[in-house]
Amino acid sequence: MTDLVSILDGNTFLVSDRRGDIEPSFDFPTGLFSFDTRFLSTWLLTLDGERLHALSIDQAESYSTRFFLAPGEPTHYLDAKVSVIRSRAIGGSFREELTVLNHLREPVEFMVRLDVGADFADIFEIKAARQKKGRTTATVSGNELRLVYRRDAFHRETVISTSEPGEIDVAGMTFRIRIEGHGEWTTRLHVVTVVYGARGEDIRATLPYGGSRDAAAIEAEQNELIARAPKLGCDCQPLAGAYRRSLNDLAALRYESIALGVRLLAAGLPWFMTLFGRDSIFTSLQVLPFLPELIPPTIQILGGLQGHRVDDFRDEEPGKILHELRYGETAGFEEQPHSPYYGSADSTPLFVILLDEYERWTGDSQLVRLLESRARAALDWIDTYGDLLGTGYIWYQTRNPRTGLPNQCWKDSLDSISYADGRLPGFPRATCELQGYAYDAKIRGARLARTFWNDPAYADRLEREAAELKQRFNHDFWIPEKEYYALALDADGRQVDALSSNIGHLLWSGIVDESRAGRIAEHLLGPRLFSGWGVRTLADDQGRYNPIGYHVGTVWPFDNSIIAWGLWRYGYREEAGRISDAILAASRFFDGRLPEAFAGYNRDLTDYPVRYPTACSPQAWSTGTPLLLLRVMLGLEPQGDHLIIDPAVPEGMGRIELLDIPGRWGKVDALGRSRTPTNHRP
Amino acid sequence: MSEAIERFFESLPARAPEVLRGLLSGALQIDLATGQETQHWLVRMRPGEIEVGRHRGPADAIWYSSADLFERLVTGEAQGVAAVLRNESTFSGNVVLFLAFRRFFPDPPGTRDPREVARRQTGRLA
Repeated sequence: MTDLVSILDGNTFLVSDRRGDIEPSFDFPTGLFSFDTRFLSTWLLTLDGERLHALSIDQAESYSTRFFLAPGEPTHYLDAKVSVIRSRAIGGSFREELTVLNHLREPVEFMVRLDVGADFADIFEIKAARQKKGRTTATVSGNELRLVYRRDAFHRETVISTSEPGEIDVAGMTFRIRIEGHGEWTTRLHVVTVVYGARGEDIRATLPYGGSRDAAAIEAEQNELIARAPKLGCDCQPLAGAYRRSLNDLAALRYESIALGVRLLAAGLPWFMTLFGRDSIFTSLQVLPFLPELIPPTIQILGGLQGHRVDDFRDEEPGKILHELRYGETAGFEEQPHSPYYGSADSTPLFVILLDEYERWTGDSQLVRLLESRARAALDWIDTYGDLLGTGYIWYQTRNPRTGLPNQCWKDSLDSISYADGRLPGFPRATCELQGYAYDAKIRGARLARTFWNDPAYADRLEREAAELKQRFNHDFWIPEKEYYALALDADGRQVDALSSNIGHLLWSGIVDESRAGRIAEHLLGPRLFSGWGVRTLADDQGRYNPIGYHVGTVWPFDNSIIAWGLWRYGYREEAGRISDAILAASRFFDGRLPEAFAGYNRDLTDYPVRYPTACSPQAWSTGTPLLLLRVMLGLEPQGDHLIIDPAVPEGMGRIELLDIPGRWGKVDALGRSRTPTNHRP
Repeated sequence: MSEAIERFFESLPARAPEVLRGLLSGALQIDLATGQETQHWLVRMRPGEIEVGRHRGPADAIWYSSADLFERLVTGEAQGVAAVLRNESTFSGNVVLFLAFRRFFPDPPGTRDPREVARRQTGRLA
């Protein structure tokens, strides 16, 4: 959505058009959102009854924007007698400084009108507009317009105030002003969003960080986070740009959970500004070598919200790690299941994997001991509720046919899991990468049990189960005539035989037989899967392949970072380097900010990565991608109390130097250099 | 105060070894309102143990609910986090205690084991 402008601070964000205006929209979430509620759906500026257009937009920061505007439609020759600057920032609340400049020598009178409205739509009501069940009222007092939404005890407010006096009505503000020759007029608008909780107070007033921060505080916090991260020096400009951008965006995506008072990472703007189990775990795995302090709150909250009962509406089972937590009206009134929703079959083994990986880097054994019962419950889930059919694999099938997710793996769109000929299998389904994660979780769980939980018998059992799973998997999922692993097993235990990027995740988890890894690497880098910009989600000769299909042909940067990690694990450094190089080259076309996904067209067809129409950006696990690729290229691997550094920098990338990598070793530096000099001019 | 709520609190000490397996400790006060009247319960949680009293704190967290909602929670008909999100129930203080305590709430009435359902559906169980 290049014609929209977004700013964000945690899960409060504002999306407007290029004039800075917001008009009610029910297809894309424009407006001011906080905690999954739209607090402004109209924010429309006119000057003497005329709309404005953008001369330029300054979007250097994630939390602030400045629009330079002039009245009327753009023409070739523009001789504006007046111009307008809207300078806005978000930090819990939203502030806009509105300035009108008179460019004539004589005084001029203007009527500045700002239409204001709030529909208090839940983010889930944006795509499917419906009549609100509660009531909205508007009241005017002094320099303030107050919009109130109530449904039973559910209570949200938007309070809009102006520093300069104006005529305020229930639908906006009018300023009749006179500006001297070459003079200007400014008013400061402040929009406060209120979420009422205990004893009629704003729920964020009781949170440690508070709801509202100004732009200076955000900037200071972002700078502090960036200062803590390792310093990158390199010849490759796309890498340097993507790294810097990623650190900025990671800082911007942190938010304070309304219910929990801890800083978590939101998954992606605009649809996913909340906690996802899978996304937060993968992002944590990517950023762990760089910003390990971001990880414990995520692990603890996922553990704290671990499933404890069988609840069909939420697809919840004892031991299961959540899929998605929302804070809005539809979750509260159980019109949607996100309180939290547990419809993912991978977040539970991934939780164990993250806990182990976190300890290996940081040596924080206290957290591993604290979460022992949670990790054991997660491991138990794999073999109990996870193994829906009792065949030794993780299966999924939603028990909430109305609002549950049919596909509970990372490719969670409707048509993502198909046979090679395009048919869709029935349910339940057992996708291949789930089995890889289960294998890895058992291996890592065994290390935790032996090292920290004083339970060698349990460790032995987990290792035995892992070995049996690997053997079984290599028998049941391998398609001998096609020489790759099936995407899934269907309900009858038959192979769902599409060639997909999921086989790369298998390398990452270590479930692939050594003898087959080479063939898998060839598939991943072969022309059917590799577009030149990265590995496609689905090979281009498969029935459902579509280069702009969400999970059936696009390239996902996050997916590629995990695949690169997997190739490295099996010793395919050159192949991992090619993927790293391709994704970093693509990032250049997105100003260093890798989107959720881009199109799967061949590189030689388009010369640039084609945007996916509704890709989220920034998206946490795309933001984490350059960081993981750096780890892969430098070969960073904790071993005991040391960090192994074994670089394999792709040809032409030149020098990569990463200073002050934090971990149980204190801080160390890593240096890598490709054998040939740089292609990328700095 | 309803019998279901009384029975629920009575059952907690025996269930604590199974439910409270983490290393969490702390006191949660539960305020249950019926009309103008409020009944107080205080639960002190430790690993594997819970102590139940019918009085106010000192507490690390307070959870406010109507007696009516709480009865739906202890019978599995309502769910705690959703109730907080719609502000029907509120809390202040250390949220981790609330998350731990909610583990005592049962399945919704009539819930079947999903494994049994799936295995019957796929003909793996007669």
